[in-house]
Amino acid sequence: MSDALIIVTEEKQVTALVAAARGLGGKVTAAVIGTRTLANVTAAAGPDEVKWIEANQEIPVEAYAGFVAQLVATAAPTAVVTSGTAEGRVFAGAAAAQLGAAVIPGGLRLSVNGDKIVVDRADLGGKVIETIETAGPVVTFYAGDDVDAAGSATAPVEQLAANGTADMKIEKTQPIAGAGAGITKASVVVSVGRGLKKKDDLAIVQSLANALGAEIGCSMPVADDLGWVEKERYVGRSGQHISPRLYIAIGIQGAPQHMEGVRDAKVVVGINNNPEASIFKSADYGIVGDLYEVVPALQAALGK
Amino acid sequence: MCRPAINSIHDSGKGRQKMRTVIVYKWARNAEDAAVRSDGSVDWRNAKMTAGEDDFAALDAAKAIAEGSELIGLTIGDGDASWALARGVLQATSVFDAPNLTDNASTAAIIAAAVQQIGSVDAVVIGDSEEYSGVPVALAGLLGWPAIAHVSSASTANGRVQIVRKQGKNEQTISIAAPVVVAVSAASAEKAAPGMKEQLAARKRPITKLTLDTIGVNRADKVACKGTRLPEVTAARIFDGDPALAAEQLVAALRDQGVL
Repeated sequence: MSDALIIVTEEKQVTALVAAARGLGGKVTAAVIGTRTLANVTAAAGPDEVKWIEANQEIPVEAYAGFVAQLVATAAPTAVVTSGTAEGRVFAGAAAAQLGAAVIPGGLRLSVNGDKIVVDRADLGGKVIETIETAGPVVTFYAGDDVDAAGSATAPVEQLAANGTADMKIEKTQPIAGAGAGITKASVVVSVGRGLKKKDDLAIVQSLANALGAEIGCSMPVADDLGWVEKERYVGRSGQHISPRLYIAIGIQGAPQHMEGVRDAKVVVGINNNPEASIFKSADYGIVGDLYEVVPALQAALGK
Repeated sequence: MCRPAINSIHDSGKGRQKMRTVIVYKWARNAEDAAVRSDGSVDWRNAKMTAGEDDFAALDAAKAIAEGSELIGLTIGDGDASWALARGVLQATSVFDAPNLTDNASTAAIIAAAVQQIGSVDAVVIGDSEEYSGVPVALAGLLGWPAIAHVSSASTANGRVQIVRKQGKNEQTISIAAPVVVAVSAASAEKAAPGMKEQLAARKRPITKLTLDTIGVNRADKVACKGTRLPEVTAARIFDGDPALAAEQLVAALRDQGVL
């Protein structure tokens, strides 16, 4: 049995972070940097205790990383689990340095094997699961699915006063052009990739989108290299992160970089003429075929 | 590791602080070159240290932060150190015997030690690699510096590093006092690779070669890989054959699931 600590900066996947930390069988402490609401949500997610630092909304949350790393060093857990977000990773890096810990991205499951800590992690964009063993402390960014709350008792919340923050300031926050409407709010998105042969052929995809009441999205090359679709509609790690009810990827290979943008989609459909396309490993449904035949057929089927 | 002394130069004529900046590039093996065998094992034999997909965006950000001040390239391992030199960087440092390590903190320790060897650095800019996403943040932790990850662009203003990042539907501008680690994510691919003239010029630019012994870093990995396996994939329900029939089956399935 070894103790673990999770660092929480947002509500998303809090229960999963706790569940991953429980894999070591010891006490789970949650360090929460944010609002009282976030602390309460975390307390209800199943840790044994919550240490809460109320974050000043005028400075980036990362400004607290040094302070939290000192807390982690004092607690000396065997493992630290954070989210893989930009903010979560900065806390993880600071904590790892204080602990002298190894840093392993993509953590899926933690366990103990004798005196070793075992981390199963997603590697190569999820193509393989790698099992890693270490004798020392380890820090990992959780990359697994969300889990349902265990329904355990609410943990006590102790508020801590931050003793020093990094000299950072939010100078300006403004909406990204085109991000406030359309694709980011759409319940159905039809997205197109390099399987499309020419720009004029977007018409058949647009026609399907119209039939579905959907917004158009695209893979990075279609917006960036080809300029066929506005950049605001590019879906992926550095593009839009969307959560539609239905996402239809047409002529998109399904690289991890693209699929990260639709991680929160409810149902994903892939249409590709390559049966080995990685989209079929991530999608819920697929049609193997020529998009120039399948897309009009799909539109016709919708009308029946 | 201790935070190195900062020795920034204040340029009163321009009313800004000069930022001695390090751009870290070609510091990881290209995961695209790794071959996954049918038994789930991974063959890395053809994978080299290559420029990552975020390296060129990081270089753009580093140039903007340095803004005419000293910009030093830093690379580790067996990659070609001339990559940054062909893109306008005038000098580079290479820790050429750095091994490939699974532990991101151990890789970061090599980079951190090299940054300290370079000395008096105000900003370290590095690609925010998805595959090795622990390296930039562990680097900041080891240097004891603040860090911002997933940065879109960077500059300087009023003697501070200023970065822009996407956060949900918003774009946020943040100013940070140096020293700082900036991890940059590229939003697009590199537009124009250097031509023959730039590549020839790069070969004449100085590369300081360091070894792990020189910078005092142990080459041992802190972790042991016990094997890899294929994930349990819940394969997509595939409809194929006649397009019209496949389309009808798909529509029926989507209606059954309540998403149409």
